[in-house]
Formats: sequence, C-alpha cells, structure tokens
Amino acid sequence: MSLPGIRFSDVRCVRATSTHIDIDNGVVESAGTSFSDTALVRVLGPRGWGMISVNNLDPSSKKEMDRILAEGLALAGITEDPVNLAEPGRGEHKVPSPKEDPLSLSLEEKTRVLSGIEKAAKIPGIVSTRATYIERSEGVFYTDSSGYENRFTITRSGFSVLAVARRNGDAQMGRESRHTIHGFNLRHQEPMGVKAGETALALLDAGAAKGGRMRAVLDPELAGVFAHEAVGHASEGDLVKEGSSVLAGRIGEQIGPGILTIVDDPSLPEFGFEPVDAEGCRTARTEVVSRGRVNAYLHTRETLAALGNGDSGHGRAEGGEPPLVRMSNTFIEEGDSTLEEIFSECRDGILLVGSRGGQVDPGRGVFQFNAEYGYLIEEGERARMVRDVSLSGEILSTLHGILLCGKEREMHQGFCGKGGQSVPVSDGSPHILLSDAVVGGSGAD
Amino acid sequence: MAVELIERILAAGGRSAQEVEVYLVEGTGVSAELKREAVATATGSREWGLSIRIIDRGRIGTSATSSPAKWEECLAAALSSMSLTTPQEWRGLPDPADLRRSAPSYDERVVPEPSAAQGFLGGMLEGARKHPESKITSGSGSLARSEVTIANSHGVHYTALRTEVSCSLETICGQSTGSEFAHSPFLEIDPLWVGERAAFFAEHSSKGQPMETGPFDILLSPVALAQLLGNILVPALSGRTVHAGRSRLAPLLGQKCMDGRIDLCDDPFARGMGATAWDAEGVPASRLDFVKAGVLSSFAYDLKTAYRYGAKPTGSAVRGGFSGGPAIGVHNLVLDGPREEIGSERALYVHDVVGAHTANPVSGDFSVECQNPIWVEGGGFQDPVRKAMLSGNLFDALRGIGGIGAGARIVGNSILPCVRFKGMQVIG
Repeated sequence: MSLPGIRFSDVRCVRATSTHIDIDNGVVESAGTSFSDTALVRVLGPRGWGMISVNNLDPSSKKEMDRILAEGLALAGITEDPVNLAEPGRGEHKVPSPKEDPLSLSLEEKTRVLSGIEKAAKIPGIVSTRATYIERSEGVFYTDSSGYENRFTITRSGFSVLAVARRNGDAQMGRESRHTIHGFNLRHQEPMGVKAGETALALLDAGAAKGGRMRAVLDPELAGVFAHEAVGHASEGDLVKEGSSVLAGRIGEQIGPGILTIVDDPSLPEFGFEPVDAEGCRTARTEVVSRGRVNAYLHTRETLAALGNGDSGHGRAEGGEPPLVRMSNTFIEEGDSTLEEIFSECRDGILLVGSRGGQVDPGRGVFQFNAEYGYLIEEGERARMVRDVSLSGEILSTLHGILLCGKEREMHQGFCGKGGQSVPVSDGSPHILLSDAVVGGSGAD
Repeated sequence: MAVELIERILAAGGRSAQEVEVYLVEGTGVSAELKREAVATATGSREWGLSIRIIDRGRIGTSATSSPAKWEECLAAALSSMSLTTPQEWRGLPDPADLRRSAPSYDERVVPEPSAAQGFLGGMLEGARKHPESKITSGSGSLARSEVTIANSHGVHYTALRTEVSCSLETICGQSTGSEFAHSPFLEIDPLWVGERAAFFAEHSSKGQPMETGPFDILLSPVALAQLLGNILVPALSGRTVHAGRSRLAPLLGQKCMDGRIDLCDDPFARGMGATAWDAEGVPASRLDFVKAGVLSSFAYDLKTAYRYGAKPTGSAVRGGFSGGPAIGVHNLVLDGPREEIGSERALYVHDVVGAHTANPVSGDFSVECQNPIWVEGGGFQDPVRKAMLSGNLFDALRGIGGIGAGARIVGNSILPCVRFKGMQVIG
C-alpha cells in the first residue's frame, strides 16, 4: 500500500446501517433504515496530507488503491506544513455485547415501544408530544501502510421524548433522552415521557431568571457539559497546536482547585466508547486536569508528535471524514462534598439543571451553555423554579471559582460537533459549586 | 447510467406501490486547509447518494444508500418503512411542470482543482497581513460541483447543476479570536476581504474593555442574525411545527408579528446557497412571503404536511444531503425592508454569537455569548468590549426593531442585512 514519495498511508472504511423512527403527536411520521459505505484514504506525502473521500471503496483492489494513492499523493503535493506522526500504541478493547440487540428487533417492535414513551408524555395540559428513536450500526475496517489492521462492529441507539405545554400564548418544553452502546434501551422508559411532560408544565409557572454574577450549583448533567465545553475542547491537541487554546503552554500549571480532576476516557464503556481510535491507536484514560493542574492534552498521532504531553488514541471520525482530536467520555471526578454541604455553602444563588447544549471559543477561552431550567437557592434551600437560564464565562477564571465537588457522578449522552463532523459522546460530573458564575436570563427580578 | 438506474428503480418500485420518487446526488469537491500559515491538508472527495421514497394509500416509506449496487436493498427498506408509517391524506407527488425559470445555482467557472483552493488560502493570507498583530490559527478553501436529480413515477425528471465555493479563516491576537468566511454558488467570493476581516476582529477585540450590565441597543451582524433566525424563527415558520402546537407564531397568521418595516420571504431564485427551481420533492419552487410589512402571511409546507392539514404546498421541502428524507425548510431566507443608517447612534455591534443552538425554539428565549462585541457610533466601529452575554426573546425583539442596515450577505441558506435591535439585556 505505497508509492514512492508516500511516507505513510491509511484507509478507514465505515459501512453503516441507520434506523430512525419519528412519532409526532401519535402519528408515525417516518420510520426506516438507510445504508452508507464511505471511506477515507490518507496519504502523507513529503510534507503534509493528501486525502481522498469516496463511497464504496474496495480496499482489497490493488488497482483501485494504487489509483487513489496516486491521487492522494498529488493532492499532498500542494501542502507545506511538515507533518510527523508519533508511534502508535496498539491494542483493541472488546465491544461490549448488547443486553438486547437492537438489530434483532423488528422495526414494528421498536415503533411500538417508542410509541408507549410518547403517549406517556401526554399528561393533562400537554399540547404536543414527539418521540424519536435513532440507531446506527457501524462496521469499521482500518488498515495502514505498516500492515496493521483492525475491524469491529458497534451499534449505538437511543431515544428522546419532547413535550410542549401551552397557556395564554406561553409555550414551554420538557425533553428527556437516553442513548447507549449496551443494547435496546427503550423498555420501561415511560417515566421519561411523564417527566418531560411534567417539566414542560412546571415551566409554565416558572419565572425568568434575573441574569448577573452569582454563586451557581451545576447538576451532574450540566457540570458534565461544563467539563466538555470549558476544558475538554481547549485540551484538544489540534487546537493547542494551532495556537487556538487557552490551555496551550500550561502543562503543569495550576488552573483549578486541588479537588478538580477532569478525565477523557474513550475506553470506558459509555456512549463515547471507541474500541480503538480512528488511526488504529489504543484508547485509554487521559487525565486532562489532575488535582487542579493541566496534566495532558488529547492527541492524534500527528498532534502528539508535534506537542507531546498526552496520548494518541483520541482520533475520531465519521465515515469518509478525517480523524480529528475528539473527546469521548469526559467527566469531572468525584469530590468529597455532600449535596447538603454544597447548597449550604452556596447559600444564595442558583441551581442549574439539565442541558440544552453548549459551545466554546477555546482560543478566547469563553464558553456558553444553557440549562433546561433552574431553581433559585435561598439561604441554602432550593426555592422557586426559573426558566431559560444559561451560564457563560471565561474558562480560566471559572475553573478557579470551583469551590466544591459532590460525591456522586452521573454520565449523560449526547453528540458533539467539530469540523463539520458529529460524534457520540458522554459527559458527567458530580454536583459542583461555582463562586462567581455569569448567569444569563432576561428576568427583571 | 444515472437515467437508466432511475428508470429501473421507478419501474421496480411501481410494481409494489402507487408512487415512487428517486433523488440522486453525484458530486466532486476539493478543499485545502491551513494550519497557522501553511497548507497542511488537501482533500478530494467524490460523493454518490440515492434516496428512494415510495407511497401507497397515504403511507410513505423512505430509504437511502451510497451504493449504486445496493438500490434493490434500498427499495426493499423503503417498502418495509412504508408499512409502518401512519397512513394520511395524500394527493399525490407532483406532475411535470413547465419550469421556465432557472435558478442561479451554477457557475461553470467553478472547477474543483487543488490550485483554486490554494488560491483562496493565498488570498486570505494576504488580506490578513493588513493586521499583523493577529496570527492565523486555521483556515480553509473549497470548491465543489454536483448534479442533483429528482424523478418520480408521474414523469417528473429534473436535473440541476450546482456549484459552491467557500473560504474561511480563524485568527487569534493574544486571547482574542476573530473569524470570517464567505460562500457562494458563484466564483465571486473575496478571500482578501475574508482574511482582512478575520484578522481585524481578533486584533481590534484584543483591546476589549469590560462593559456594564444593562439594556443596550444591539447591532446584530448578518452572521449573528442568521444564527438566531435559523435556530428560533425558521422552525417556527414550518407548517409542521405550527400544526404540532410547537410554534409561537401559530395563532398569529394574518396578524402583526414583527416590526412593520420587516419583510421576510423565502426566495429560491435569489443568488444564494439554496437557489433552486424545484424543491426536494420536485414541486416548482417560488417566492414565499412569510412576513409582509410585519404581518405574518404564510407558513412553509411540504407535500405531506400540506395534504394532512388541507394547506397549499409551498415548495418548501429541502434535504440535508441525500440520506435524509425531504423536510420543511427554507431555500434562501431573505430579510428586507426600508434601509437606513443604523450605526450613527451608539449601539453594541455583535459579529457572531456562541451557543445559538441552545436557544429555546418553542418560547424564543435565548442567551448567547457575543463574539467580537464592539461599540459603534457615528457610523463606524469604536471601542471593543471584552465580554458580553446577550439575553432576550427573539419573537419579542423582532416586534420593535431599531432599523435595517444597508447591504446583505449570504450566510448559509439566508441572505441578510445587519439589523438594529432596541434595548436588549446584556450582561457584561
């Protein structure tokens, strides 16, 4: 798999079967399965990368591969950046066996069970409900010019349920979702539908939060997003290498309190699990922040060679797309505070619950994310509910403002976008207390 | 070969269902990426995708594949998908129409050659040199062309050529970042301008000072405005959202819902990224006025939603690639109205926002972090602001704007000017 002038090449083929079901107000809007077969061939020329993205590649066809490698080499000819690759760590984790394999169930059965969750959301006062199921089974084959090969199959699936309540022109929503690599997870999940409905109804009576700087308690879901947005992205080796991360040049520096350890671990059997990364590298736990100090960056082989400080094994890619440095399962380690201690220490502030997602500018070191809702905290007690609360801040000052970490961590699943690619991730944390959070809200008092 | 394959699928599908639709995309592209100031990667791509939809007695089935050889498997999957969906009122796929007007979606000068992508990068590098304190972190330039075909068992068989060029640059100055981009179906982007703007914003914002919390007039750039409109307003204009009870605009048809100066339409014949003469279901596309002089005049419908609710299809079906079925969207969302000088009195200009996707699409509430907030006064940029978080409700904010600025630019599937908003809450 080589031609003169090629220092390294690899091929990653992803054959995927995707199933979705969409039930909207009791109507099965769509349900079906689609197929894709995509591949990316990377060629490292004398300087940088030439890449070819194609459908339906047969990597065993020498004629086809020679033609694509030549094409890749020609593209690499316009590059100027000298790219080097670190030696790969090899080894693969076993993909956990599903408890109930979604592929063994009929589309009818999946639709029937999803429908039960959607119906459960329609409690009195709810005007609109919707439930969706997504499932993606990927067969991955990887090989490179060293002769290394791996192949595996993984199926990810899950659901989300949405409920909308309306009163006097005001509309509010509640949403719940669960995704997993461990098999069909929709059975007995009707309470999630009910919870979405109850949240939407409760939000009709919630006031808008008054924005400003205050003490904030983040629940495990939102604190997980905080770890992902505020620290995870800034630790990605490609951003550090480009000079667009506030964590560049800070290895060993204390950026948070001693109770703070932040980890990314693609080998953990959570939603962001990868048995091996998109460059055929072994995946393992990386402590990005260790007891408050910047400990390591996340890497592909290219960024590890350029920067050091960390492990490769964090390259992830959609089919036909290049491996980028990505997070997988990112979390804040458990601390030593009880929830009572956290509320008591907060005294007057806000509790932020759930996540509608977030975004970060890692170069500027500014992040933003939205909670699903919140509660005021008054004299150490949870008080009235508030809606549309968000949190923004500067990464470095906010990390120093972490006062307490709870004892119990929970993980939540989602998808993370970067460079036009979306990958499954999970984030988690115990409850945390921030001393000086910038909370957004349009309320007057 | 494509014509033959399409005919084969239409014939085979027609044996099992009343109607069949085939959507086929073939394309090639090339892109080059900058890391700092050096070209690090060049990528070539070839895409092929097929989507099949079949309909029988009001049941609709879909499937898609990227393999020509797997069309039979794809058709079988569409058939089993059809059996599961809830049957609905259905009045048929469109018949062939006399499409006299072509949409501006193709420029024969766009050839996906690596040297052209390299040329975009060179132009941006040169533009960025005007603000030497800013350093380039990454950038990209790309060119693509594709051929899109829709055909159905009623005899519709339309093919369109599409081209797309784009370039973007990210910069940093100290701990201040800047970014700019341009994209178009035509070889009409200006990499020099993109480079100069990206570098200007990073350099200028590096001297940002804190601001007070409070209500301020805001100038949303076309990019910032597109983020909020796309995440909040566009979903609320979809007939599906309206009838599902998830749109705040639902009860306002025929009523004033925005400032009387605002006209908002979907113009598939405008020179934008979504230009097309037919929608993703083969319905002839035409201008759709959503809001005229502040009054809500229509919502967007695809065939399915229109038939179900007895509304008129508006040719608003779009696809996000071959693998998704058609869904309601916009081709080119255009905001227009009387233009005026909107930067003479003091206001906070917002170049872009972080976190617009976290907005509440049902209520319209949003809270976003501003990128490159800068005070404007006397028609020009003044002092930069270090950090500003903007909160509000988009539906409420659009009811009383401070004015619409001159010009417009393409941002994704929209063509927008800069708009001034009155007294929005900013947390400094």
